[in-house]
Amino acid sequence: MNEWLGILLQVFLIITAIAVVMHQNHFTIIILMSVFSIIAATLYTINQAPDVAIAEVAINAAIIPLIYVIAISRQRELIVYDKLHHQQTKPNQKLEGDVYLYLQRFSQKHKLKLNFCHDLKVSDKVIFQDLNVDVLIDRDKRNDQFVLKGKSSNVLMKKMMKDLKANERVRFEMVEEGENLD
Amino acid sequence: MIRKWMSLPLLLIVFFAFAIALTDYENLYVDTARIFYQTYGYLYTGSLNLVTAIYLDFRLLDTLFEAGILLVAVTGVSYIAQHDQVEHNPLFMLDKFKIPELFVSLARIIYPIVLLFGIYVVFNGHLAPGGGFQGGSILATALLILYYIDLKKKTNLQLIFTIEKVLYLLLISISMISFLTRGEWFTNFIPLESNLLLKSVFLIALNLIIGAKVALGLTAIFISFLKEGR
Repeated sequence: MNEWLGILLQVFLIITAIAVVMHQNHFTIIILMSVFSIIAATLYTINQAPDVAIAEVAINAAIIPLIYVIAISRQRELIVYDKLHHQQTKPNQKLEGDVYLYLQRFSQKHKLKLNFCHDLKVSDKVIFQDLNVDVLIDRDKRNDQFVLKGKSSNVLMKKMMKDLKANERVRFEMVEEGENLD
Repeated sequence: MIRKWMSLPLLLIVFFAFAIALTDYENLYVDTARIFYQTYGYLYTGSLNLVTAIYLDFRLLDTLFEAGILLVAVTGVSYIAQHDQVEHNPLFMLDKFKIPELFVSLARIIYPIVLLFGIYVVFNGHLAPGGGFQGGSILATALLILYYIDLKKKTNLQLIFTIEKVLYLLLISISMISFLTRGEWFTNFIPLESNLLLKSVFLIALNLIIGAKVALGLTAIFISFLKEGR
């Protein structure tokens, strides 16, 4: 009985492993990975290694998915640092002005969550180096222009620059990222 | 750099070496160690779970280095994730990160049960499958669930690191007492002839320390992920 169960579970293990590689949706992959580790833990128990099975379930089916969920939901945000400070908006409130409307459309197009923040008192370079802010909004008073700044290493920023070239009221600047040790 | 075609003969050499080593069947499967642990494991250490008997008594030195590896890993993660910005509003990234209501209300029910189960696994490490590492990771799961319930929870990371380092020193010092009582480094400090129940005191103490250390270490890694780049 246990032999056949073992063989069946090994087949399931291979199927789940292939599904993890082939699937597109990140959150489904996380669920599949914890399914994988639960099947593996059952196999360990069948082969008389309950200690290893407990460690497998606790780490690979519980802790690592929790960490992945945080890490992936981080990547789905467009973080905008608003230097002008006149907008304390929540994402479902109506945004006003050209730049804000554009940012909202841009984030909807790329399926990102728009996230504003405005209470850091540090220089521009430090913001891009130490914090993962994507876009910075500033205002040029002489030309009456909005100035958007973005990291040159970010792929999305290049698309944004292309979009904004025609617009006269907005200027886009790339900020070079300092060489990091890592 | 190894070129691509060079890896093929290298693989073949490794494969042949492995195949030659497998032919020496009788020397590979020596079960003297298994017989020794099965007959004397319980009598020497007072641990019904032979895995615990090995990692907390016969091979305690290995366990110390394993705990050290976790300490180094936690230190490395915290070093990479650190930044010295003053956080005026440290939650500006997470306030819009929505967690389903179902998950939160289920987590509230599950949290005390997971906590209790983790403590049970740590305390019964020498009697049933489990032990410090397994129980510690279950405890860490419980602590992580707490962060999903209440995202605004604030933790002093430096305090966690300090406690973890102190626990590691405690682990080393407790395992070195045996030199005074038995004349042997890194083993149970209660004399060999004494009662088996008395011996399990040492096992419970070490399992507790390892469990607390692992739980705090994994939580610290999670929190530094949560804080990274904010």
